Order: sequence, then structure tokens, then C-alpha cells
Amino acid sequence: MKALVVDLDRCNGCFNCQLACKDEHCDNDWSPYALPQPTTGQFWCKVEQKERGRVPVVRVAYTPTFCGMCDDAACMKAAEDGAVYRREDGVVIIDPAKAKGQRQIAEACPLGMVYWNEALDVPQKCTGCSHLMDNGWSEPRCVDVCATGALRYGDLKDFAGELDAASVAEELEGAGSHVYYLNRPKRWIAGTVANRGENEVVIGARVGIFDDGGSCVASLETDEFGDFKYDECGKRRYRVRIEADGFAPIELEADCTHADVVVDDVLVDQPR
Amino acid sequence: MKIADTTVVHNLGLEACGGGANMVAADVKDGKLVRIRPVHYDEQYTKDELNYWTLTGRNGTTFEPGMKSYTPPFPLVYKRRTYSKNRVAHPMKRVDWDPQGERHPETRGTSKYVRISWDEATEIIAAEIKRVHDEYGPYSILCQADGHGESKAVHAPHGCMTRLLELCGGYTVQARNPDSWEGWYWGAKHAWGMDPVGQNTHSTNTAQDIAQNCDAMLYWGCDLETTTSAWGGQLASKLAYWFDDCGIKHIAVAPDCNYTAAVHADKWFPVLPNTDAALQLAIAYVWLTEGTFEKDYVETHAIGFDWLEYYVLGNEDGVPKTPEWAEPICGIPAYRIKALARYWARHNVSIAHCNGGSFIRAAFAHEPARLEVYLLGMQGVGMPGRISIKFIEWTLFGMTSCSPIPPSKLAPSTAAAYNGWIIGSNADHMIAKCHVHKALRGESFSWYGHGTAANDRPDQFVKLEFPTDGNAGIKMLWSDNPAFSTSLNGGYEYQDALKSDNLEFYLVQAPWFEDDARFADIVLPICTKFETSDFGTDCDSGQWNAVIYEQAAIDPVGEARSDWEAVQAVAEKLERYGGVYEDVKHRMTGGKTVEQQIREGYEACGIPADELDFEAFKRNRYQLIPTVEGWEDQMVGLSGFAQNPEMFPLETPSGKIEYYSPTLAEHFPDDHVRGPVAHWIEAGDGHDDRLNSDRAKKYPFLVESNHPRWRVHAEFDDVEWFREIETCKVVGPDGYAYEPVWLNPSDAAKLGIQSGDVVSVFNERGAVLGGARVTERVRDGVVYMDHGANSDVIVSGIGGLDRGGDINLICPTHTSSKNASGEVTSGYLAGVEKVDVFELAARYPEEFGRKNYSPEYGADVRDYLIGEE
Repeated sequence: MKALVVDLDRCNGCFNCQLACKDEHCDNDWSPYALPQPTTGQFWCKVEQKERGRVPVVRVAYTPTFCGMCDDAACMKAAEDGAVYRREDGVVIIDPAKAKGQRQIAEACPLGMVYWNEALDVPQKCTGCSHLMDNGWSEPRCVDVCATGALRYGDLKDFAGELDAASVAEELEGAGSHVYYLNRPKRWIAGTVANRGENEVVIGARVGIFDDGGSCVASLETDEFGDFKYDECGKRRYRVRIEADGFAPIELEADCTHADVVVDDVLVDQPR
Repeated sequence: MKIADTTVVHNLGLEACGGGANMVAADVKDGKLVRIRPVHYDEQYTKDELNYWTLTGRNGTTFEPGMKSYTPPFPLVYKRRTYSKNRVAHPMKRVDWDPQGERHPETRGTSKYVRISWDEATEIIAAEIKRVHDEYGPYSILCQADGHGESKAVHAPHGCMTRLLELCGGYTVQARNPDSWEGWYWGAKHAWGMDPVGQNTHSTNTAQDIAQNCDAMLYWGCDLETTTSAWGGQLASKLAYWFDDCGIKHIAVAPDCNYTAAVHADKWFPVLPNTDAALQLAIAYVWLTEGTFEKDYVETHAIGFDWLEYYVLGNEDGVPKTPEWAEPICGIPAYRIKALARYWARHNVSIAHCNGGSFIRAAFAHEPARLEVYLLGMQGVGMPGRISIKFIEWTLFGMTSCSPIPPSKLAPSTAAAYNGWIIGSNADHMIAKCHVHKALRGESFSWYGHGTAANDRPDQFVKLEFPTDGNAGIKMLWSDNPAFSTSLNGGYEYQDALKSDNLEFYLVQAPWFEDDARFADIVLPICTKFETSDFGTDCDSGQWNAVIYEQAAIDPVGEARSDWEAVQAVAEKLERYGGVYEDVKHRMTGGKTVEQQIREGYEACGIPADELDFEAFKRNRYQLIPTVEGWEDQMVGLSGFAQNPEMFPLETPSGKIEYYSPTLAEHFPDDHVRGPVAHWIEAGDGHDDRLNSDRAKKYPFLVESNHPRWRVHAEFDDVEWFREIETCKVVGPDGYAYEPVWLNPSDAAKLGIQSGDVVSVFNERGAVLGGARVTERVRDGVVYMDHGANSDVIVSGIGGLDRGGDINLICPTHTSSKNASGEVTSGYLAGVEKVDVFELAARYPEEFGRKNYSPEYGADVRDYLIGEE
């Protein structure tokens, strides 16, 4: 059984995987593995991007998304006449001849990774570049063009211990996806503490992060830039308590339910 | 199943000048490109054969070159570029341009084209050359013979026409300006030498030094995840990740959270465009007043430091350059500036660049470039972990010392096979590129310095004028790079210059019908990479330099010929006029076949004779140059200068860092904008673009323009696979794919603009349309637009309107400053407003109704051809 391991900490958002997939499949007929992909509109490998935070704490989270080659594949269940089958290496293939007219195969995928080709009247998706693997290649195009090592491909057993902390696409949980994500980012709370009167940042201010149950989940100190950042937040509400010697303590709300939180610069005053 | 018949290897970087980058393998099947992919070196080489290297940083982390090429995104889409709907498939003539009668220069950019044959086109061209030669003389033909075309040598993308014209009496050429290095070139060189472009050329072994000793890297306007896509590839990204792994703090300084900050940055200082100088001066103020700089080093390694001190402390103008002074100018709170200054003083800090960029291409860019050198000097540049490095151009001009990682033992050259213009040549008849507008209008003018990227510092003191020696000035423009208005200064003014009565004939040869090509009188169709065989190099990957036997893989598109072949076709037609034109084709080519030239190129590329084997080279398709022996023992960067400035001097006149430049003072005693010491310049030399200026009441935003994420300047704007990526285009309510305009949510709210709205970005020079992208990736007060969007002219010239979003159309024509001929293409004022695109469509029905346009690929040449609309 093969596995695709995606280290989100190493994805630089170059889109090479998405582009190489198109280079391989658009205008190229790899029957019986797959018919040509239309020039635009289908993404057998798709890089999702999400902007996080606000000025001046901003990052972009890129998530390359793939067919999970699921053990319990919805597309396979939806198919008639054995139009979707599993190879020995675990790759799930849509037979373009048998699948003709079977729109329900495209509609079955909970992750939306099976597309309907209107012109050719077939459902289409990632083939794991099986036409290449059967001709001497050791990894699919998307992995071959990944420069940073964010994508790795191999036998599931070779990754063994590494995958303990891995997760799969939320939509494919429980379906037995073989695309494993490492270092999926959590929400953050970030800010800067400064004394506007003296125009100085406050270094070493104590920052407590409390969850909605009132428990302290983290105790931080502002760094040499007066900054703090806690990036292990869940999708929930928090309170932030900032204390520094000589200043009145400040408490703030930080609602991470829907997004990361970057608080306005926390301007502390000397107590009068 | 057959997955390929054969494989060819080409470089797909956009280098021009005979250089090359981004080597890839391309599989061909049934005469068609099937895939473009990285080259796996281990199929041909062992690590031992390549003298494979490993660098070691903190915590024992290591960095290696790897055994395959790290292809950036651009090469992967080259099939789409090759078969673009916008390819010029056959020669075209502007329908109302009649060389025997009315030439109608005023309708350039408006009138359509008719298809003509190669025979007719070359007859007309030859006759026009002859006529211009007879009436005005050879220097009245201006060759636009530089830029970022494809990397080719025999079929050089730029300047083949100069090889013909030099045999027919001469020509005038536009200088290939230091377009990504303007500030360093016109400024930093006067502070620390570093010819020819002013960025650090002493980078040997600095990556390992940084990994071991540096605490934080200031990525100052540096977007290595973007700029390397055309020149170098993704080893740069891997290197940045390694620095992250070594615990080096990544601090981004730029108005936008660029594509590098988006994935690497630990801190972001969102400085307002072109206000870096204020931030830098405030940092110097903190160090000076707190005594936290390397005083002994400055004493022994610099001259004129007291001039800077005098100015920064306010003794010169009564204004101390405090963080509080800088805050309203640069938009960074004073407390943050102080924190940054103190952090820098307490730790080993280096600076990273990847070319311009907003930082280095704005008005007075020589000032922040010099100030950066000043700051580096104040913290002892060359001491462990304190240096400036580049993530690109690791063998710029063949200098292996530009690379922070172990270099190959030599940088091979294509010179012996190269048929293009050689940068710096024809110096007696050269126009600084940013002044070309004037030449096209027939004006006389003067300026300082030839201003090619290859010129040394003293060249900036040479006064030049045009026309020379009583010559008639420019009457014909022959361009193989019709992308001036997309990539250089004063785009709308340039369009007007193209429509000038003075310009009698405008000839373009290009693969694609883009941008300024739509103003040409005749357009010749040119081949792209895979349609020709050539000799190539790749010296920018950072792994191993390579020479490449680039075999043609596909048939030319339509009637396309290579640039070299197109010029030969013109030469043939010129020969009939005899005299200076007699036998000119043979005199130009020497009768050599392409194969012969590839062989000659290979044999003279610099590889020692005993390592040359042409047949093996041809069979293997490429040859790598191993890492230099003993790289470990090469001196680290500027450590020699740091330890002994007398023994290892800089290339400045004094050999030291010049906080005060005696040569600038001597040559330009009245220049107060680029004076002997870098200053904060509020306005001057035609620029009045500060947020507190009167102009800002009408144009309240500062434009930021970087190298484009999904283009190389004007190239690749037609690639469907890029255009469907969210950050590439914004599809408006009218179904047109607009160039994104980034606005901070706070500004967008004030303007009543939402993502997806069509907006106008405008100033007194005209307006361009774009699609709003409301985002936290840009700070308030800034409107961000990549340069290079393929123009889609609605109204041309000053006061014009462009639907394609070619932002350089509204940038200033004035150069960096009066004695520095650099382009100013970022950091200027503009207004932004939402437009009713349907009202515009009603007003300009023809321009908004181009039938073959598709948001998927953009422009289509058929819309400009009579009978094919």
C-alpha cells in the first residue's frame, strides 16, 4: 500500500504539484488509465490557500489536496459495472471506458476530487500517475516536482512512526485516506506590548493564555520586539492576561473560533 | 504503453544576453511535447563525480544540493506558452501604414493588421532600412535589443539585428539598464563598490557562515519565492527553509506580506513604499545615540562617517532622525523601530535580497541602497553572521563569488555561439533606456553614464548626449522586446512616443502579440525554445553549472522563424542593394550551420579541453561542471575585509566603505538629491510622491509593484494554468479576468470596495483597471499591483485607460534622480476608485467587445487581424 505524505510546514505555495499534474494530463491521452483532462477547471491535485492573521502578523497556509485513494472509497461504491477499481498498489482508478456516463461517480467524492468531464461524458480524477509508475517511474509527477520535500511518496510501512501525528483531510476522516498531513497549523493569538508614553516595547511581559473554561493553557513572555505569539490554539474562545512589572495588568478577549487573532498593539501605561 | 519517444533538455529561464537558467527535461511523443520535468542528475552522474557538497549549520543541521534540478513553476507550463492563442503565426502589417504613402503614426495602437508573406515583409523592411540609411544615416535605427526573452544563444532572443546592422554602417542601441538593481547600481556602488550592479559580490561560503553564526536575517523587500521562478529555481527556497531550521529569525521588511514572508516570516515590518530610508536613518540614530555600533570597525573600515553622524543627529538641518521622526513617514511605530535597532545591535544580523522590487526601484532608490550599506558597516559587515546575500544570480556576469553556496569550478559561457547584442557593446551609439521616449520623439538630450547593467562605477561620471555628432536622431525602431510599457518607466508616455510623427517605421519581431507589439507597423513571427536547436547553459541553479545541447523537439508554430533566421531573411533582401549590403548574410553568419555553431559554442565555453567531448555531450544532452575543489577553504564573504581592510580592500576609490563619497562630491557638486552622503529626500528631480504632499490629496495611495508572481515581467500572462490560480487574476462582473489590485481591508472599507470589484488605479498620467483583492497581505495606505500585466489598450497615451492592468503605464517617466538614469516603477502616488465596468463597456464598445478574448487565456491575436476577428 502506497502513501502520500504532505508536510504542511514545508509547502512554499509554488503550485508545482498542481501545475505538473496539468502538464501530465491536459491534452495527453493516457487511456486506459485516463482520458485527457480539460485545459482548465479540473484539479486532480489542488493547492488550497488561506490567508491567516492581519497586519503585521500574516501568513498563508497552503494545503495541497489529493484523491485519498480511500480504503472505503465513495467513488468505488457509487460506480456500476466495476468502473472504479483498485490496483495492487492501492491506487484507485476510474476506468474511462466503463465509467462513461456515470456522473454519480463524480458526485460521490466527499472531498470533491472527482470531476465530471462534460465533453467526454466521463468522471475523472488522479490516477497516481500509474501510467508512469508502470513504466519505471518511482513517484508521481506532483512529488517529482516538489522541491522542498513537502510531498513524499512511498510504501506506507516506510513512514510508519512518522505518521503517528499525521491527520487526513477532514472530509475523508474514517474513509481510510492514504494522504497523510503532517504539521497541520493550529490557530494563533499574537500581539505586541508597548508603552506608548515612552515609545518603548515591553520586553519580558508575562502573557497568560486562558481557555474558555478559565484554565491557563500557556504562559509566555514577550520577546525582544515586545511580541508574543501562541500558535497552539483550538477553534474556541480564549482570554489573554498581560502583566508587566510597573504596569497595570490588561485582559483581552481572543476568539479563535473562526480565525486567528492578532490583537491591536497592547499599549500599557504606568499606574498613576 | 509508451510515455515518451525521446527526451530533450533545455533551459527555460528568461535570461537573455546568452545566459541561462532553469534546466529541464522535456519528453516528446509523436512530435508533441508531453511533459516538462526536473532533470535527475543521478541518471548520469555520481555524487563523487560532481564533488558533492554538504554544509553544516547550527544544531548539526545540514544542507545539500540534491541530485535533481529544483524546477520553479514557470517551466512546467511551457507547453501552454508555446501554443498560446497569442502567438504571432505569420508576418503582419498594420493596415493603414503605407511606406509608399501615408504612414499614420497616430493610429499605432489602434489600427488592425493584415497577414502578409515573409517575402513581402522582408522586402518592405529591407527597403525601409535602405531608405533610412540614405536619408538619415545608420544611427537613425534604434535597436531595442535587450530584455528577458528566452534563454537562447545561436537564436538569441535579443539583438540579432545588431549583428546585421553593424555590417551595414552601424546602429543605435538602448542600454540594457540595471532594471532589478537600480538603487544598488546608482547608489550602493558609491558606498561599497561591488561592480557592476552594487549588490554584494563577495558571498563565498556565506550560507554556512550564516547558518552557524547569524541570529536574524532581514529579508528587505526580498521575495525569493517569486523572483527565482524565472532565474534560478527552488534551491533558494530550500536554503531559506534551512536557515529557518537553523533557528535564524526571518524578519520581513516590505509594504506587503510577499510570497516569501507568507511562508517563512517570523516578523513583518510593513514599511510604507519608498520610505525605507527614514526607517534606516532612525535605526542609525538609535545606534549613534546609544553607542551600540562597531566604533572601532567604522574607524578602520570607513571614510566620512562623521558626515552621516552629523546629518542623522540633526546638526545639518535641525531635524534629528529619531524613531519618532521616522514613524509618520515610514508607518512603523517608533517603539518597533527602537526594538528592531536594539535587536540588530545585540545580535548577528544579515540582510537578504532577491532583487527589486519596490525597495530598489522607487524615486531616489540610491538613498536606501546606500543607507543599507551604511548600516551594514556600522555593525561590522564581514564579521561572522553579518553580511548581505542574494538568493538569486549566483554567478552574475560569470562571478562565482556571488554565490553564498559552494560554486562550480567555472561558469561556462555561450559567447562563441551567441548571435545577440553583447551588453555594453556599441557604447558610442547608446541611449540610456529610461530616456528612450525622448529619442523616439526626435528630441536632443544628455545624461550621465551609459547605464547598462555591466558598466562600472566611474562610467556614471561620463556625460553623454543624443543624437551624437550631428546625426539625425531616431527614425526607425527595430524591437525584439516590445514590452517597454509593461516593464519600464513612463508607459503611457512611451505609447505616445511610439505614435510620434518622428518615428517613421516601427518593426517588431516577437513570438507573442503582446503589449507594444500592437503599435508596430510590421510584426515578424518568432519561434520559441522547443522549436529550435541551440547551445545553452544553466549557471543559476546553485547546484552545478551546466552546458546543454538543446535539441529542437517540435515544429515551429505557423510560419515562425528564430530571431537569427528572421534577421537573415532581411539580410538576403538587403543584399540586392549592393554596396555596404553586398554579401551581408554570409558576412554575418559565416555560412555556419546551427550544428556548427553549437559545437563551436561548446568547445569555447570555458570547459578545459581535456574535459570536452562533443559527441558525448550531444548524446547525454547536458554536462555538469563539478563543484570547485577546496571550496571549504575559500575565504568567507567579506571576512577578509573585516579582518584586514588594507589587504582586502573594497572596490571604492578609498578601498573602504564611503559614508561620504568624494567622487560624487567632485563630479556632482550641485546634486542635492544624490549628494555625497545618503539623505532622506522628500521630493525633487520631478518626483513629488509622499503621502504628505499636496498631490496625495488627489492620489492618496502609494503604489507598490514587485516582480510578478505568475509572470516574468510581461511574459506568461496568457497561461491558463496560472490564470486559474486565485492570486493570478480576479474575474470581474463582466467576465473579464483583471489584474489583481491588493488593498488593505481598512482602505477598501473607506472606498466602498469589495473583493471582485473592478477598480481604476489612476493619477495624472492615466488609469489602469484591475480587480480588487481585499487582503491583509498589504498594509494600509498602499495599493499593490504586480507589474507586467499584458496591456489591453482602451485609450493609449497620456491620460489613457488600460483594461489589462499594466500598472507601469501610470508610473513616472522621471528617473531615480537627475544624474541617475534608473527606472521609477514603484513607490509613487495613485488614487483608487471603484468603476462601473458596464458603463465603460458602453462607452468603448469595440475595445470591450474583443470577440476572441477569453478570461481563460486572455488576449487573442485574431482580435487584431482583419478577416480573422
